[in-house]
Amino acid sequence: MAVGVHHLLTGGDPGQATGKVMTAEEAVGRFVRPGAVVGMGGQNINRCPMALVHEVARQGVGDLTVVGCNLSLPLDLLVAAGLVVRTEQGSGNLERYGTLFAWRRAVEAGRVAVADHSHLTMASRFTAGANGVPFLPTRSLLGSDVLAALVAEGIAQVMDDPWGDGPVVLVRALRPDVSLIHAHRADPFGNVVIEGVTSHEVDMVRASAATVVTVEEIVPEGELNARPEEVTISGAYVSAVVAQPFGAFPTSVYRRYDFAEDEIKAYQALARHGDGTYASWLADHVLNPADFDGYLRRADPGGARRAALTESMRSHV
Amino acid sequence: MKALPREILAVEGARQIADGDVVIVGTGLPLLAATLAQRTHAPNAKLVIESGVVFPRVVPTPVSVVDPRLMHGASRHGSLFEALGGLVQRGLVHTGFLGGAQIDRYANINSTWVAGKRLPGSGGANDIASHCRKVVILTDHERRRFPERCDHVTSPGFLSGPGARAKAGLPELEVKVVTDLCVMEAADSPLIVTALMPDASPDAVRAETGFDVDFAPELDAVAPPTPEELTLLREVLDPDCVYFPERKR
Repeated sequence: MAVGVHHLLTGGDPGQATGKVMTAEEAVGRFVRPGAVVGMGGQNINRCPMALVHEVARQGVGDLTVVGCNLSLPLDLLVAAGLVVRTEQGSGNLERYGTLFAWRRAVEAGRVAVADHSHLTMASRFTAGANGVPFLPTRSLLGSDVLAALVAEGIAQVMDDPWGDGPVVLVRALRPDVSLIHAHRADPFGNVVIEGVTSHEVDMVRASAATVVTVEEIVPEGELNARPEEVTISGAYVSAVVAQPFGAFPTSVYRRYDFAEDEIKAYQALARHGDGTYASWLADHVLNPADFDGYLRRADPGGARRAALTESMRSHV
Repeated sequence: MKALPREILAVEGARQIADGDVVIVGTGLPLLAATLAQRTHAPNAKLVIESGVVFPRVVPTPVSVVDPRLMHGASRHGSLFEALGGLVQRGLVHTGFLGGAQIDRYANINSTWVAGKRLPGSGGANDIASHCRKVVILTDHERRRFPERCDHVTSPGFLSGPGARAKAGLPELEVKVVTDLCVMEAADSPLIVTALMPDASPDAVRAETGFDVDFAPELDAVAPPTPEELTLLREVLDPDCVYFPERKR
C-alpha cells in the first residue's frame, strides 16, 4: 500500500475553492482515458449518467471496459459508438423495454468480451474495492456456470470457510479507473447527495481512482456541511462535479423527473435494427450536438417534455 | 368474467405467497402477483426490490425495479448490496420470484445464453435462487423453455440432481413453476406436475415440455380466479393494461 495522502484526498484546502467544478468536456477530457475501466452509474431507467456518456462518445475515448451491476442505455450508446471492448456486469438490459441491442450484437459477434456476474457478486467486488481488501466472500454463484466462467477468468475462487461452515466464493475487488454517476446535488467540494435508491453506486465510487459526477444542481459551499449525515458520498472520493440539469434524461431522477418512456422506446426501435437510421440518430443526437444541452434542445425543443416528466414525478412522490 | 391465461398465472402466483412472507420480486407478473397477494389473503406480506427498496407500498403500475411507483412509503431506500446481501443472502427473504428463458428438469434457470443468443444475464436471479427458501417461476409453457438441461446454468435449482445442491454448499430449496398449463413442483428432485390449469390436459403439458415429465398421483385443479381477484387485477393493479396488452384487444 502506498504511503502518504491519496490523490483523491488532495483536492484543496478546506474552505477554499477546490477546482472540482468544471464542464463535462473538461471532466471527461481529464479523467476518462483510452483503455480505462469505467464504473457505470445508474440502473435500468433510473439516474443513468447520460450527459457524461454523450461526452465520452463525442470525445471518442475508446478501448473501454465498462463495469456495473445493471448496465443499460449508457452502455448501449458507448458500444454503438464503437468505444467498448469488454463489460463486467450483472445484467445488460432495459427490463420491459428489451435487451441492449447494440451490446447484444457486439457480444454475439465477439467484438465485446463479457464477464457475467450476479448483481450481488458485482456489488461485493465494489464493496471489497471500497474497503481496501482484495476480495469478499459470498455464497451466491455456487454450483452455477456463471461461477465456472469467473473462476476460469481468475475473478473468483471457491474455498472452504476456514471456520468450517462449508464452501464460499471469493470474488476479487474491482477498482475502476473512473466512475461516472448522475446525482441530485453536490457542493463545490464534491460532497454528493443522492435521493432514493443508490443501487451499486456508493461502493463503486468509493472503490474508484477517480469519479466524475453530474448533478441536477450545485449547492453553495457550507450548505451540506450543516447536515453532513445527509451526504451520500463524501467529496473525498469525487474528482469532478458538473452541473447538468436533466443530465439523466431520458432516464429518471427520483423526486425530480420521471423517465421518458417515449424516448426510450424510440431509441430501442432504432437500436433493434442498427442500420443507417440508427447511425444517423447517434450522429444527430449524441455525436454532433456541441454539448448535452444541445441534445436536450433537439430532443425537447421548448422544454414541454421535460416539464411533463417533472410533473409526472411530482404526482408519484 | 372469463380470465385470460396470463391473468390466471398472476393469480396463482399470488397464491404462492403466505401472509407474513418476505418476498423479493422484479417487475412484471411477479410484482402484480405480490401486490395482489397483499391486497387479498396476505396483507402482511412484505416486498423487497433488488435496487434497494425495502418494504414499499406499490402504486400501480411500475415497469422497472427503479420506478418511482415502487418507492412509496418504504422502510428504506438502500442499495443492491443491502437488498441482495443484507436481506437475501442474510436469509431474511423467504420467497423469490424469477423468470428465465430456459428452466430444466432440475429447475435450473438460464437467463444468459441460449443457442448462441445473448440474453440479459443473471441480475439478482442467481442471488435469489442461491439464498431464498422458495423460488416461484411464472412463465408461458413452451417446449423450448423446458429442456432436459439448460444450455447454461445462470441460477441454481437442483443442479445435476438430488444431493447436488447441498454438495455445492447451497441451502434447501422448494421450487414452484406456474405456467399457463400447469403447476410443477420440485424439492431436491426433478420437476413434477402437481396441478393442472383450468382447461389444460396432461397431454398438452407433455407436448409442451422438452423433458420427460412425471405427474403426481393425485393431480390438483388450479382454481380459476375469483371475480374479486380479477377486478383487482384489471381495475386497480393494472388499469392501463401495461402487463396485459392482450386485454385491450
